[in-house]
Amino acid sequence: AQLQKHVLYTTSFAIRLALVAYGDYQDRTMAVKYTDIDYHVFTDAARFITEGQSPYNRSTYRYTPLLAWLLTPNIYLSMVFGKILFIVCDVLSGLLIYRILCLRGLGSEVSSCTTARRVSSLWLLNPLPMGVSSRGNAESVMAALVLGTLLCLEGRCLMRASILYGLSVHMKIYPVTYALPIALSLRTFIRFIGSFLNTELFLFASVAGGVFCMLTALFYYMYGWQFLYETYLYHLTRRDIRHNFSPYFYMLYLTADGAWSQWLGLAAFLPQLILLLVASWAFHPDLAFSCFLHTAIFVSFNKVCTSQYFLWYLCLLPVVIPHLSLSLNQGVGLLLLWFAGQVILFFVLHLNTTSDMHRVYKIVIKSAGWKMMHLIPLYALMCSGC
Amino acid sequence: MYIVLFSMVTCLSTCYCLIDDGKNEKHCGPLKQWFESTSVSVEIGKKGFHREVVTTVELSPDVVAEVNVLLIYRWPRGVYLDPYQLAAESDQRDWQILLNSDIDLEVPAHKTSGFVTYVYPTLDGPSPRLLKVTIPIHGRYSEPSFIGKTFTSVNIEPPELLLRTEKCMQLNNLDPHNVMDAPCTADNSSTCSWVKIQCQQEHAPVSFQFPVGDRTLVMPVCGGTLLVTVICCVALSKYMWKHHI
Repeated sequence: AQLQKHVLYTTSFAIRLALVAYGDYQDRTMAVKYTDIDYHVFTDAARFITEGQSPYNRSTYRYTPLLAWLLTPNIYLSMVFGKILFIVCDVLSGLLIYRILCLRGLGSEVSSCTTARRVSSLWLLNPLPMGVSSRGNAESVMAALVLGTLLCLEGRCLMRASILYGLSVHMKIYPVTYALPIALSLRTFIRFIGSFLNTELFLFASVAGGVFCMLTALFYYMYGWQFLYETYLYHLTRRDIRHNFSPYFYMLYLTADGAWSQWLGLAAFLPQLILLLVASWAFHPDLAFSCFLHTAIFVSFNKVCTSQYFLWYLCLLPVVIPHLSLSLNQGVGLLLLWFAGQVILFFVLHLNTTSDMHRVYKIVIKSAGWKMMHLIPLYALMCSGC
Repeated sequence: MYIVLFSMVTCLSTCYCLIDDGKNEKHCGPLKQWFESTSVSVEIGKKGFHREVVTTVELSPDVVAEVNVLLIYRWPRGVYLDPYQLAAESDQRDWQILLNSDIDLEVPAHKTSGFVTYVYPTLDGPSPRLLKVTIPIHGRYSEPSFIGKTFTSVNIEPPELLLRTEKCMQLNNLDPHNVMDAPCTADNSSTCSWVKIQCQQEHAPVSFQFPVGDRTLVMPVCGGTLLVTVICCVALSKYMWKHHI
């Protein structure tokens, strides 16, 4: 079993490495490039850092400076460094899924780890994360941080969990929604308000908050208001009408300069907030499932959605799969439905970028279709979540 | 004595000027001829929001090898060039580009203005008389139409063609309308006088269309979107509550 595990990780890493090598070949020889445009943004930002300038001098760089700092070897060593880092995080995410599943227990210890290995291969051998990380997208770093937080919480290593959680919220703000299910899961069972007043929760909140505030203060000192705006505020107030696959896209586009645009933004935010509150309360005893639902709801009901957002909840899916009461046929059916949504998404995206079809209406149709493809599996997963 | 000396100096300087004028005429003369037999044409490649502007410049056969070529593009606000893409692909092409201002990659068309780029092709290719410059451009989102239009047109004017040679320094003899100052090279370190070539065949601007939203649909779109969202929200909340752990 140990050997099989090592073969699985080695194979996963080797395939990703081969994809990185192929990507380099495609970039050099073909008109359509393999490397993600964001990877060039990260590298440009890293270059500014090596020149002693702000990474935000690179327009459209809207991430933490930590990412640009991490990728400075792209300039000093080789452009491929960042991709190697991302595929290492990708394989590490598979290992974390395996460890979480072993901890959560799936029958006897031996069978539990065998099932855990099989389920983690759903991530490790999945072409989707392989493609995303080898193209130079940084989502695998977030996947590793979020899964690391969950593993430490499952193992009751609160100090490590809180450090990782503070770091992950700093890297991207979406895990901030996990605060409520985490707080609910760390309660002690006395009176409702009193249940939130305990050492564990205080330790977690203060360390996670401390890490987040320390990093924010450090980068604010270094890069000023631009850091706060680009890393946090831009994402909160974002009304992006470009490259946006959210179902709200057309509504926000048509009302972009209108007086009631802000009210519509609020109207779109309320359902998201209600669903996140209900999901936290309904499923907080199973923290991993609750975080999975949180991410899926956040992505499906967000005002802005780009193609890599679905990886945010996809990395949590293998952790919840063994605990679902779905039959194999139901599971495969839902998976096919989800894939159909993605295929439609990418097909229409391809048509939009290469043909003269009516892009706006196509995006509307795609958005509605994508939302349905998202919500039906989500709906079924909720029903089978216990 | 002084009169003789003054006369000699005057005579020498006049002779020098005549020699200099002769040289200048020799180097600048062809510039005048090039006006007649040079053509610039523009085509649009690719489809959708990411396109290419392909400019073909056919220089007169008399053009000497040492000539410098400059193409000045005046881009409309409906499109933009990505400076980072241009920098990344600079080693794959034989021309250099200078942008006259910062370009916001995200702002919609109605909140920005056009801009100018200076393109410097090199003449050392396999057929130096025929220059081909392919510039990647990207469409901006446009304001939704209030009158139910579903497309908006973007017109790309052919670039102005300018030439200069290092040897022809004095362009006083040319029509002042045909001489203009512009950066000498893409690094924008100095300004030179260039001769603007009026092509024999005036090409019309090329036009293409980008889709725009229909503002007249704002009520049904907002109503429909919010209604579907509320239905989904209620249904999911109800089932989460029912199946809670």
